[in-house]
Order: sequence, then structure tokens, then C-alpha cells
Amino acid sequence: MKMKKAASILFAASLTVAGLAACSTGNKEQSSGTDKNGVTTIEFWAAPNPTQQVYWKEVAEEFTKENPKIKVNVSPMKESPTSEASIQSAIAGGSAPTISENINRGFAAQLSESKALVALDELEGWDEVKESRNMTETMNGWEFADGHQYVLPIYSNAMLFGWRLDILKELGYNEPPKTYSEMLDVAEKLKAKYPDKYLWAKADLADPTAWKRWFDFFMLYDAASNGNKFVEGTKFTGEEKAGEQVLGLMDDLRKADALLTRQSKDPFESGLGIFVDVGPWTIPYWAEKFPELKFNETFTLAAPPVPDGMDTENVKTFADTKGLVIYASATKEQQKAAMTFINWVYSNPDNDLKWLEKTSLPPARDDLTTNDTFKAFFDKNPALQPYAAAVPNGIPPMDNSKYNDIQTFIGQHAFNPVVKGEKDPKTGWKDMQKAIEGALK
Amino acid sequence: MSTKQGRMGWLFASPYLIYALVFFLIPLVWSLFLSFTDWNLISPTFSFVGIENYTEALKSPGVQSAFWVTFKFMAVFVPLVVASSIVVALIVQGLPRFKGLFLIGFFLPYLASGVVSSLIVKGLLSYNSPVNEFLRNAWGLDIDWLGSPFAALFVVAVIIAWKFTGYYALILTSGFESIGTEIYEAAMIDGVSPWQRFWKITFPLLYPALFTVLILSIGVTFGIFTEVYQLTGGGPNFATNTWQMEIFTRAFSNLQAGYASAIAIIASVVTFISIFIIRKLLEMWGKRNGWS
Repeated sequence: MKMKKAASILFAASLTVAGLAACSTGNKEQSSGTDKNGVTTIEFWAAPNPTQQVYWKEVAEEFTKENPKIKVNVSPMKESPTSEASIQSAIAGGSAPTISENINRGFAAQLSESKALVALDELEGWDEVKESRNMTETMNGWEFADGHQYVLPIYSNAMLFGWRLDILKELGYNEPPKTYSEMLDVAEKLKAKYPDKYLWAKADLADPTAWKRWFDFFMLYDAASNGNKFVEGTKFTGEEKAGEQVLGLMDDLRKADALLTRQSKDPFESGLGIFVDVGPWTIPYWAEKFPELKFNETFTLAAPPVPDGMDTENVKTFADTKGLVIYASATKEQQKAAMTFINWVYSNPDNDLKWLEKTSLPPARDDLTTNDTFKAFFDKNPALQPYAAAVPNGIPPMDNSKYNDIQTFIGQHAFNPVVKGEKDPKTGWKDMQKAIEGALK
Repeated sequence: MSTKQGRMGWLFASPYLIYALVFFLIPLVWSLFLSFTDWNLISPTFSFVGIENYTEALKSPGVQSAFWVTFKFMAVFVPLVVASSIVVALIVQGLPRFKGLFLIGFFLPYLASGVVSSLIVKGLLSYNSPVNEFLRNAWGLDIDWLGSPFAALFVVAVIIAWKFTGYYALILTSGFESIGTEIYEAAMIDGVSPWQRFWKITFPLLYPALFTVLILSIGVTFGIFTEVYQLTGGGPNFATNTWQMEIFTRAFSNLQAGYASAIAIIASVVTFISIFIIRKLLEMWGKRNGWS
């Protein structure tokens, strides 16, 4: 009887322990820094993208061979359901890594405001990184409102627009339009010849989700305003004229029945639409999945169109750019080791070349088009050349901790209703400005 | 019951009690605490803001839409899933063999990932999908499935109904099987038509199973997230913005954990009151049919 009771108690206790153990995330306890052998371990979270994970694993291994006193553990960043949410949970739960990539400027602003990031410019070795990687110019646009640098941009995807060159040629054009009136001419001719086709077929145009504005509104706005800052600190500084011109273009395209805001499968690839925002990551994807799309035959790439009368050279555009950050929760030794690792990676342009070869994402350096290290790559990949050339014209995302609200308001109050014909551009801009100013207070 | 037996009872209940404490009670208290602060969980400092998060939330269009959208989902999803699960249960009930196998088949969507099913539906309903091409060419129907408010809500409700139908059919099948055959035999002798048999005998006698299914399905409408997140992002124009979607956006996109906690507490209160009222109404309906 006693045995039975004891067994029952043991069973119930085991169940409890097993249940709680099952709830464990399995994360190892974060290293406190340096072990007794003098080895400092740093945790590196790579973007949830297999090619980037492979890259970081390889460079981390090479680094540790040359620097046995620093061990870099590379693991993929979780996306549950987004990488930002995973980072937030990790910081809150005390399991943040030492260093991670895949951080955009807006999210970095949120994190830095919460004192979760280390100001990189305050760490020893920062100036050497900027110099050895040849990124001083690029970094100028990355300074945060408090004067510090919290992110080291790894790549800078100055976004371009893709045009279906084959269809443009059928309409009598040999190159993409550069101004709004030229674009509207194309739209008119397109609808006359192909009533079932659209100039821009993209469901996101009518979707208020904040990040979607980077790939429509901000590409056009950065071009129309010559890279004007939308928000500075707690002040709305958007340029009314440029904003209304962008919204006016969308309104005109809608009136010409040239916009399709319905969810559609491969609209550009199938020719349903002839204009689309394209990042460099799309080029290898097209080469694999749509081999019939040939650069400068079927499609071509161009800077965003600008309002009539503007200079069509060196047009600014939104740069989808992400980078590395070092977390404040890491120990001083780990932060120092992380900076040593960064210095080692970026002191050798071959590591950027390896990055380029693996990911096709242009490294954020000033000498991408002039450094011989990259010449052979771009000669082999002509469709990526326009991206390298556009790096100096890329405008990074705003560094405001309320970027999510601000960009949602752009969609909700201006861009989406104008695209749907529910508001005129002037009213849209005014409503949006009012909402943003309210949020910035 | 002796003290020893009482202790044993507590001991055996302890795994669940500890689970409930860790995953329900502590988070609830934590959430309540957060809801009175402006903390984003990662900042080293925060301040107490009293009921400001609650007043802000109640005025917010996102929260107001979440409130109404939940009831709209309820109005579409609950009848749809109850009707479809009754149909499935009736079909399975009428099968001469392999009832269990068919029930497992219908149950499988319940195990399917919401992300995968949403992506499949997104593809099926895209503008240039074969389905839409056919509707346009054959009948001139051009439906913006995910871009118009009602259609988007309907599509999400259908996906969730598809997912839950097999599960609820299982519950209803056991309900059908609990109805004695002698009642039907007596009804046949009295010349009751199949229509009358269903509405006057089966339906009222199915009450306990139906009660469970109705309460469960109503509860589901307060927790919709994955399908909305994948398909509509809460749009168009808040038409599918659920409580979970609003909480997620505020907590993880805007890093407003305190404010999101206030929304979560409001959502819990709304859920509790709604289910309480609906439960009372269902019990009244049950009493009228002789169920006490």
C-alpha cells in the first residue's frame, strides 16, 4: 500500500516536472561573457533567411580560427510571428543575443529609445570599421536624432522600379518614362491597346500596413522631394508639394484605370501589370523562377518617376536597408568582442563580396561601383548594376520610434483612400498630416 | 473525505493547477499590472498612467472596430460552422461503415496550419486565379474577395469554419449517438415526416452537444488571428480587425505593451460578458425543451 502511494506521488510529481520542462524554450543560459580559459562567447542572431545564415556561419568560423579567444555562436532569428516581435520578447525575457542583423532604422529607433542598444560610435573600433569598409558617406544618412549611430548598415537596397520593356516597346517606347506626364501617357496607351492590363497591379497599394509604404509612397516621395526628411524628432517635416504630387499621380493613374489593387499572382511576371517596385533580391528569384524575364529585353530597371520639370538624373529613392546592432544587455566583454568581430568582417572587402555573391544584396559601402573586388561580380550580373549605382541615392527609413503609427497614417489617411478614389490628394495629405502631428505630440 | 485523501486529490490536481497558475493566473495579473503602465517591456524605466490606457483604447477606432468585427464574425461564422458540422455529422451518421475513418478525414483540417491554409486561399482567390478567371468569363462576376469589407470577413469566416467543422462534427456525432433509436421508432409509428423528425426530435435532443459546439464556436470568434494576419492584416479599412490583431499590432509593431495589455483586459471582459449572456440565453432555450 505504501509502495503504491509512493509510486503515485512520484508519478504526479514527474508529470508536473515534465509538464513544466516541456514549456522550456530549450535556450541555453546566455554566457555571462568570458570563461576561465579567457574565451568570450558572443551570440549572433542572423536574419531568418538561409543564405544569410550560411554567410554568417562561414565568416564566424573563419573569424574564430584566427581569433580563438572569441567564439561566435550564429543562430537564426525566430519569426514568431515577426523577427521584431521575437527580438522584443527576447529582450523582455532576458535572452537577447549579443549582436544581431536584420534591424531597420525605425525598429532601431524604438530599441534605442528603450535603451536596449549600444551606441556603436561610443565603442572602440567604430571609426576603424567605417574607414576600412569605406562607408563614411553612406553612414552620414544613418545618424540618429540624438547624434549617435546605433546600426551598422550591412546592405543598402536602393529600390528601383521594374518596367516590362517588351510591352513598353509594343506601345512605342524604347525606355521607361521618367516623369509623371510620360508615365500617364504610357498608361493611356496601355489601356487603349490592352484594356485588361494595368500599369501598376499591386494589392498593397490599398493596404494600410505600415511597412508597405516603403515600397510605394516613400519610393515616389523620396524622388519627388529629393530625399526630404518626412519627420525630424517630434516634428512633421514632410514636403507638402511633393506629397501632393505623389498622391496626385496615384489619383491620375486611378482615373486612367491603370491601377489594380486586387491580390493577384505574379502580376508583373505575367504581364498583368507593367510597373513594379523591385529589390535586388528579386533578380536571382526571377532568374530561377521566370527565366523568360531577361534584363533589358523583357524588363528593365529605372529610378522612380519624378514630377514634371524635375531633374531626372540622380533621382532619390527609398533604400531598404538593414544592419547590425549590439544589444545593451550584453556584457562589456561581449560588446568589445562583438566590435572586434565586426571589425574583422568588414576590414576585408572579400567578405562583402562573399555576402554579395550569396545574397545579391548590395553592401552598404561608398566604393561599390569603383572597388575592383566587386567588378567581376557586377560584370557577371548586369541586372544588379543599377542597384550598385543607386546606393548613393538611397534614403534610409525614418529613425522615429513611432514610425509604425506614422506609416500606418500615411496609408490610412492619404495613400490608400486616394488610390481607391475616396479622397482627393489635398484632403488626403491634410488628414494625414493632422494624424501624424497628433501622434508625434 | 479524510485529510489524507484530500491531500492526494490536491496532489493529483497539482499538474493542472501549476499549469493554470503559470500560464493563466500569473500572466493575467501581470497583464493587469502592465495595463496601468506605459511600459514597452524593454525599456529600463516606465511610469504608471492610471486608467489612461483604458480611456485611450475605448476611444481608438482600432478597438471599436475589433469589438464590432468580433460580433460580425460571430454572426457569419457560428451559423456556418454549426450548420456544416451538423451536415457532416448527419452524413457520417448515415454511413453504413467506416464512420470513424470519415470523421478523422473531416477532423484533419483542424490540425492544418492556419498559415498554410490562408496562403492557399490567398492564391485561390487572387485576381488572376482560375477561380476568378472563370467567374469573370462565365458569369461576369468580378469579386474583390479580400478587398471588400464583407467579402473579406466572409472568406476568413469560411476558412475558420472549414477548420473547425470536423472537430464540432465529432462532438455532434456523439450527441446523435446518444439519442435512443426507440424514440425514432415511436415517431415512425406516429407517421412523423423526416423533416419533423429532425426539427422536433433530433434537434432538441441534440441540445447538450449543440450547447457545447455553440459555446466553443462563439469562443473561437474572440481569438481569431492567424487567418486575418495572413490574409487581410485587419483590413480593408478595419473590416476584419479582430481583438487579437489589434493587440498584436499594438504590442509588437508599436511596442506598446502597456496599452496592448489594456486592450487585452477589455477584450477579456467583453468575451466574458458576451459568453455569459449567450450561455444564459442557450440555457433558457434548453429549459424550454425540457433540459434543466
